[in-house]
Amino acid sequence: MTQAIEKALEIAGIGIIGVFIFMAIFYLLILALDTFLPYKEEVSAEGNSVEVETEDETQN
Amino acid sequence: MGLEQLMPAIASMTWQDLVMIAIGLILIYLAIAKNYEPTLLLPIGFGAILVNIPFSSAITQIDPATGQAVEGVLNTFFNAGIVTEIFPLLIFVAIGAMIDFSPLFRNPSLLLFGAAAQFGIFMTMIFASLLGYDLREAASIGIIGAADGPTSIVVASRFAPNLLGPISVAAYSYMALVPIIQPPVIRLLTSKKERLIRMSTAGNYNKKISKKALIAFPIAVTIVAGIIAPSSLALIGFLMFGNLIRECGVLNKLSLAAQNELASLVTLLLGITIASTMTSDRFIRVDTLIIIALGLFAFIFDTFGGVIFAKFMNLFRKEGNKINPMIGACGISAFPMSARVIHQMGQKEDPFNYLLMPAISANVGGQIGSVVAGGIILTLVPLLA
Repeated sequence: MTQAIEKALEIAGIGIIGVFIFMAIFYLLILALDTFLPYKEEVSAEGNSVEVETEDETQN
Repeated sequence: MGLEQLMPAIASMTWQDLVMIAIGLILIYLAIAKNYEPTLLLPIGFGAILVNIPFSSAITQIDPATGQAVEGVLNTFFNAGIVTEIFPLLIFVAIGAMIDFSPLFRNPSLLLFGAAAQFGIFMTMIFASLLGYDLREAASIGIIGAADGPTSIVVASRFAPNLLGPISVAAYSYMALVPIIQPPVIRLLTSKKERLIRMSTAGNYNKKISKKALIAFPIAVTIVAGIIAPSSLALIGFLMFGNLIRECGVLNKLSLAAQNELASLVTLLLGITIASTMTSDRFIRVDTLIIIALGLFAFIFDTFGGVIFAKFMNLFRKEGNKINPMIGACGISAFPMSARVIHQMGQKEDPFNYLLMPAISANVGGQIGSVVAGGIILTLVPLLA
């Protein structure tokens, strides 16, 4: 087995595990964000739910 | 006065140039008549014609009168946009602005398919090494399996600029061919009973997601990815920056501009610039055919990885809560084509089986997974090569 193939196997092994680790971390991140920043209905002064949208006005 | 003086282009035309012009015409045909990734394949096809007419001023030529090189505009674009990675990274900003991560928040476990379906990248890299390509070239060929054009371009332009043309053509062609490539592989790997699994209980698809969470997500992902693998930050960071523009709610005009004008303009420049590498002397080689074949191999093994991982997950899930293994195939980055293909396959088996929402979640996971895989390859290859 040549050195290039050995290295390719090594990168493949570390790489696929690495992608899973990254995705598992992002999975946990989503769970954390969902827990700590849950959806809350925004309520206006009149008591109606509103969706706040702001337009950027200063563009060059 | 001979033909050489009157029409030097005709006199100098070789059969290789004619083949490349024919390839350009085929790509234009596929883009227009078959609607295969027209935004990329049409400029690439036209560019292939442009650079294969002898003495084309679109690419760098030696001026016969002075003997000096006169830089062509496509080479200028290439040096400014591809060598510096500006074009693909700007595309990432545009893609980020187009991605809605809320389907992932509704069913985050499907994010893992975005990892499993990158299997083809690494299998192809090993196979390319077995065929004698050096590690950098093998990694660049393998990344076709990311099913993500800009990631393929970034990796190939850094590690194997000599192979950029065929790698880009393969990446974008196979992305367009997902509806043809994936179904037979999925049918081969799954039983009819598995394809009939309904996923109506998976995830809460009516759940509303907090705006704050959607804003925090791209920032958190950038910081986490940056700490673990700083080399991946250009790819992941630009993608997440585009998404932050979308989600922040105060830059709606910029978000729309990124999704429309920026995406259109940079895609146009990217396509025609890549074509500058498709000159007959660089493209008509056995290597090109091998790369095209390996690209198909990568897409097949991506699908294999996703489907087999879903079947593996089902070993630990109770009856009634199983995953339809076809969803695993959506872990590739070709969005939303792969999700649509799987939904249609599900409906063909059972017209009342609606797989679109879980398929979209897995497909969004694939968009992140492909960029992460690209970042990991950019980190690992220089360390080990």
